[in-house]
Amino acid sequence: MTITLSGICKTFGDFTAVHPLDLTIPEGSFFALLGASGCGKTTTLRMLAGLEEPTGGTILLGDDDITHLPPHKRPVNTVFQNYALFPHLDIAENVAFGLRRRGVKSVRAQVAEMLDLVQLGGMARRKPRQLSGGQQQRVALARALINRPRVLLLDEPLGALDLKLRRQMQLELKRIQTEVGITFVHVTHDQEEAMTMADSVAVMYRGRVEQLGPPAELYENPRSTFVANFLGTSNLFEAEILSHLSALGPSAEAAGEGEEPVESGTSIVFEAPEGAETPADAGAAEAPEGASAEEAPGETRVQVAGADVTLRLPTSRCAVEGAESVEKGTKILVGVRPEKIALLHPDEADAVPATDNQLTGRIKDAGYLGVSWQYLVETPACSDLTVYEQNVERDTRLTAGADVVLHWRPAHTFALDATQDAAAGEEIL
Amino acid sequence: MTALAPLAGTSETPSAPQGGAGSDDGAGPGAGPGGGGRRRLTPYWLLLPAGLWLAVFFVAPLFYQASTSVQSGSLEEGFRVTWRFSNYSDALAAYGEHFLRSFGYAATATALCLAIGYPLAYMIAFRAGRWRNLVLVMVIAPFFTSFLIRTLAWKTILSDGGPVVGALSSLHVLDLTSRLGLTGDERLLATPLAVVCGLTYNFLPFMILPLYSSLERIDTSLHEAARDLYATPATTFRKVTFPLSLPGVVAGTLLTFIPASGDYINAQLLGSPNEQMVGNAIQKQFLNVLDYPTAAAMSFLLMALILIMVSAYMRKAGTEELV
Repeated sequence: MTITLSGICKTFGDFTAVHPLDLTIPEGSFFALLGASGCGKTTTLRMLAGLEEPTGGTILLGDDDITHLPPHKRPVNTVFQNYALFPHLDIAENVAFGLRRRGVKSVRAQVAEMLDLVQLGGMARRKPRQLSGGQQQRVALARALINRPRVLLLDEPLGALDLKLRRQMQLELKRIQTEVGITFVHVTHDQEEAMTMADSVAVMYRGRVEQLGPPAELYENPRSTFVANFLGTSNLFEAEILSHLSALGPSAEAAGEGEEPVESGTSIVFEAPEGAETPADAGAAEAPEGASAEEAPGETRVQVAGADVTLRLPTSRCAVEGAESVEKGTKILVGVRPEKIALLHPDEADAVPATDNQLTGRIKDAGYLGVSWQYLVETPACSDLTVYEQNVERDTRLTAGADVVLHWRPAHTFALDATQDAAAGEEIL
Repeated sequence: MTALAPLAGTSETPSAPQGGAGSDDGAGPGAGPGGGGRRRLTPYWLLLPAGLWLAVFFVAPLFYQASTSVQSGSLEEGFRVTWRFSNYSDALAAYGEHFLRSFGYAATATALCLAIGYPLAYMIAFRAGRWRNLVLVMVIAPFFTSFLIRTLAWKTILSDGGPVVGALSSLHVLDLTSRLGLTGDERLLATPLAVVCGLTYNFLPFMILPLYSSLERIDTSLHEAARDLYATPATTFRKVTFPLSLPGVVAGTLLTFIPASGDYINAQLLGSPNEQMVGNAIQKQFLNVLDYPTAAAMSFLLMALILIMVSAYMRKAGTEELV
């Protein structure tokens, strides 16, 4: 069943938990509502379950308006955050609860089948408190799924589990969802959980959906600083648009759609704000110019007057109001993901592809994370640029205090509106 | 079950005011293995004050009373232990009616307390919001006045020609209740109804507080889970809320029924000789007739009967099974 939320909102007194929200959740999808606590994701879920009356708007399930239907009349079931298992009933009766309420007489076979699905076959006569957290979680899932709801709502179902069990249950949930084919709406504050499981993720912040899309789209092409920081890590630094040129090729329109963020289309060139200079600057300023790159098809290179550092990116990756007609001098935030950046010793700077964005800097700190190294690099653009390097063959010269050249592809660069808080979403789990 | 634990200690208090309180828990967990130093002795030191207190004011009087109950003689000649167990059968024969009446009134008052107290406790636990503490204080507020004064106040409220009698008789409610034998003609005072009303009023907080504490512990997400699983509000109550509040129901009914069975103030002030309860009879034997052996035997009988009823009830309620 497709769920359609139109203008749904919720206020508690003066506090607006959810601003008018339009959302369509396609049938059979695994949909995640992702955000920090207090962002309105749980309120949205509770409105879907009928546990919270919306202040305004409508909820359609397929073609049926369920906005004002009490919870016990809705064909949706919920897996609660603390599982909310009935402590006075054994596992079998907990699972059978929904069937019994709907007057189903013989529940035994169904209960046994459901307990097998969640691998709790032998536990039917135990009481909830005799089970571990992971087992209780599976009982909660079985108790909801046995009713064959048209939509299953999951309210941070894995929050109480330890990391290893959580990983295991993520795969388990995904397997069950594929198996039963029911629409899952999953609320979580764990970006990794949302990205592993969901087909689509709606990132919520302060009662609004910041961005909606498949996990890869959100990660690769964030449209706000909150999404850029909350999903993974981003290096964000201020810059000023120097020039903005039309595309030479006919592919300009296509690039604007954001489908394939390649170097074709309009390029915008930025410079880091003045005053952010460090001794390393001189080299950095020279690098792009001296590289004398060949022009890529559909891309124009622009010389920037007085630039210390010049960066380029496709217009399609520029989430700025009216990106097509931005003027010179407009302030923006440039972002790049830490794992997209490559580090080189200055001696090998010649190996940098001419079309790449390039910075020089000095390593402040190098941390060993096992699968990768995490570097903190001081650069003219940003005093704490984070870089992740795969732990394969590390250049041993790259230690704290060493000068380095950083480079990444323009297609991995994105730009955001500078009017937002660059640190939004950073401090949260 | 933990909520009930203190009950065992107080269960006999009202029935045997001169006897002291309940079974002896003061003996401690038995002698520990020798040696082990000071730390091992600490629990016993902690038990000492309560143990001494109970030994002096409970165990000793209990034995004294037990010996009194099998004495014979008179005040002038002095009482002597003659192992006269017929004191018990005589008391039961003479005051069987009082026993029955006591348990009948206490049971009725307990049922009324439950009927009145449960909705109130439910409201305080789930609906009172920021008024919760205020309502709880109001529940406890009557304790700021003495038991005696409150019961005397009821005497005024229910007095002949008082507002309640006037209102009820003009509504013809009194006709109905007198036909049922609960009240006399055109009066409330000195009727079974008045005594039961007094008991209900006086013991209501003992019902409300344990009910409240067990309802308050219920996670409201269980209600939401039940509603989410197709239970109507009524079914949610029947299948989830009420079963989970059973420990409170058991504690509340015991805390109401046991003291109400042994009460004599309400029957004394609000009833007539026809509403006398066993407490009144014991009081009369001790203080007016001065027949100490019979009075002691009756106290023991009351204690024993209550113990039997309570243990049967507890077994039936199966509180161990509950959370």
